[in-house]
Amino acid sequence: MTAAVPAVAPAARRRPGTATVLRWEATKLAAQVRSRALLIGAVVVPIAVVLIFNTQLPPKDTIYGRHIHTSGYAVPLFVLAFAHQWVLPLLAALVAGDIFANEDQHGTWKTILTRSVSRTQIFWAKTLTAVGFNLLVLVLLAASTITTSLLVVGSQPLPGLSGQLIPAGHALPLVIASWATAVAPVLGFTALAILLSVVTRNPTIGVASPVVLGMIMQLVGSLGGLNKARRLLLTTPFETWHGLLTAHPFHAPVTTGVIVSAGWLVVCLAIAYLYLRRRDITGG
Amino acid sequence: MSDVLAVNAVNLTKAYGSLTAVNNITVQVARGEVYGVLGPNGAGKTTFLRMLFGLIRPDSGTLEVFGRSWPRHGVNSLSGVAGFIESPKFYPALSGRRNLRLLAGLDGGDAADRVDDVLDMVGLTARQHDKVRGYSFGMRQRLGVASALLRNPRLLVLDEPANGLDPAGIRDMRALVRRLADTGLTVLLSSHDMGEVEQICDNVTIMKAGTVVHHGSIAALRELAPEQAHRISTTDDDRAAELARARGLEVTTADDGLDVRGPQKDVDALIADIVDTGIALRGLTRDETPLEALFFMLTESAPAGPPAGLDAATGGRR
Ligand SMILES: Nc1ncnc2c1ncn2[C@@H]1O[C@H](COP(=O)(O)OP(=O)(O)OP(=O)(O)O)[C@@H](O)[C@H]1O
Ligand SMILES: [Mg+2]
Repeated sequence: MTAAVPAVAPAARRRPGTATVLRWEATKLAAQVRSRALLIGAVVVPIAVVLIFNTQLPPKDTIYGRHIHTSGYAVPLFVLAFAHQWVLPLLAALVAGDIFANEDQHGTWKTILTRSVSRTQIFWAKTLTAVGFNLLVLVLLAASTITTSLLVVGSQPLPGLSGQLIPAGHALPLVIASWATAVAPVLGFTALAILLSVVTRNPTIGVASPVVLGMIMQLVGSLGGLNKARRLLLTTPFETWHGLLTAHPFHAPVTTGVIVSAGWLVVCLAIAYLYLRRRDITGG
Repeated sequence: MSDVLAVNAVNLTKAYGSLTAVNNITVQVARGEVYGVLGPNGAGKTTFLRMLFGLIRPDSGTLEVFGRSWPRHGVNSLSGVAGFIESPKFYPALSGRRNLRLLAGLDGGDAADRVDDVLDMVGLTARQHDKVRGYSFGMRQRLGVASALLRNPRLLVLDEPANGLDPAGIRDMRALVRRLADTGLTVLLSSHDMGEVEQICDNVTIMKAGTVVHHGSIAALRELAPEQAHRISTTDDDRAAELARARGLEVTTADDGLDVRGPQKDVDALIADIVDTGIALRGLTRDETPLEALFFMLTESAPAGPPAGLDAATGGRR
């Protein structure tokens, strides 16, 4: 009987497309103090860090630490090695761990889901906004670090990891490539933060737990005898750039790192999507 | 096509764990009417409206809005529908205006052009640039109505819209709803206040503990309602009660007087009797209205439900 009843003709109004929703989410993010502060920080903090380390004794026990006064190309690699311990997971989670859960915090899921957009559109708009934002932060961070290092320390040749000396002309692409290897795990951590914030509905957990999980993964990775399992950790891809700086570079770990990160990304996003699609919106 | 109901909910059930919040209810709202869903706290009104908006999924039953259902049409079934559930929520760090502009972005069409109009309609123009964080409860409620009107809806769904408003705000809200209804808009509102529903609705469904205990027009409900009750206090309540019974009035004694129920002319005659007998009348007040009395009878009576003469309606339309 219901089938026989014709539905009302579609209203003249067109539903907004996913691109419109994406723009909507980006506008909302741009209005946040936190996100603007993060972008400014991604530019300013590396400048301060490079300037400060330039006045300190070189830290000998960290990769590239001993070279930070002798090559401007060594400094960004030293910073990268430090950043992946917890800074990059944190930066990845700051927006991604909040972008879904702040709707729970403000009780606004019901506000936006009673308009003309589907949960799928909202999911992709938020996910793509977080991904885009995190890529932007990473690019700014890398650009600011590399530029400041070269200006402050200079563009001397870069000592390779197997003792060779890499001429300045080759060093820049290698440094950029090294930073580029962080893209995959940063996106993995972005997806992890999205999953945790969608499931817990709590922005604090969404931001903090990926960092904690990252530290646990590093700890597990540093234990001996776990070679197979170690490759599946989301923190391992952060170290694959080491292979690019040897006399005979090896790229296999980079490829593995990208695949592992993509695996994390797909699994986390798939679970988060299904969860958001099915959940009851009862709060607010 | 014009006989497509605005809302056609049939045998809806929704349980949260072991608690059945909505139990096999049927609610049908024709186009252009102002329909009330009335019930005490926890009756399941909000749960029903959440299902209407697709925020939660019914465990069983079907729900169509203008002939479209959530499983078949997805978010398109909300085309032409607007409203809010419980207290409306917005982004606190943004201004009222900014919030409306953002929401208009999710509505598409000409919603963005209507921001000024709707702010004016709810009387928030002067405060539109203030952050929502600084809005009073009533202002947020009005912003909620404004955000619903942005969509230029054919069906307006309001969950306890008078909640938290001051008396003037309640009066304005009711007047606004009536004005909108006069333009042909269908309104579905929930309330726990019989007086409110009586004032603005044409038809009503009364819920209690997840079930429908009555549905029908306000006019039909008035026929079923008991007589107006009066609270009388005198210097000799026992004697006054005897006089009332002698007039055939229904009497119940209370701490501060008598509750007397019956036709107005008999109550008038009773007052004359009391004064003639030399008893002093200390107070005469009208108690709850007949419809309020009926509402309490329907929703407070033991699980048995409605009083004699009322059908324990499942809600199916006449
Ligand atoms: N998310 C939830 N989880 C568990 N139980 C819930 C949930 N939401 C509502 N309930 C229960 O469902 C029943 C109906 O709740 P609902 O909010 O629909 O009532 P209501 O008629 O809107 O009441 P009120 O007048 O207080 O707003 C209540 O017993 C409530 O406790
Ligand atoms: Mg409610």
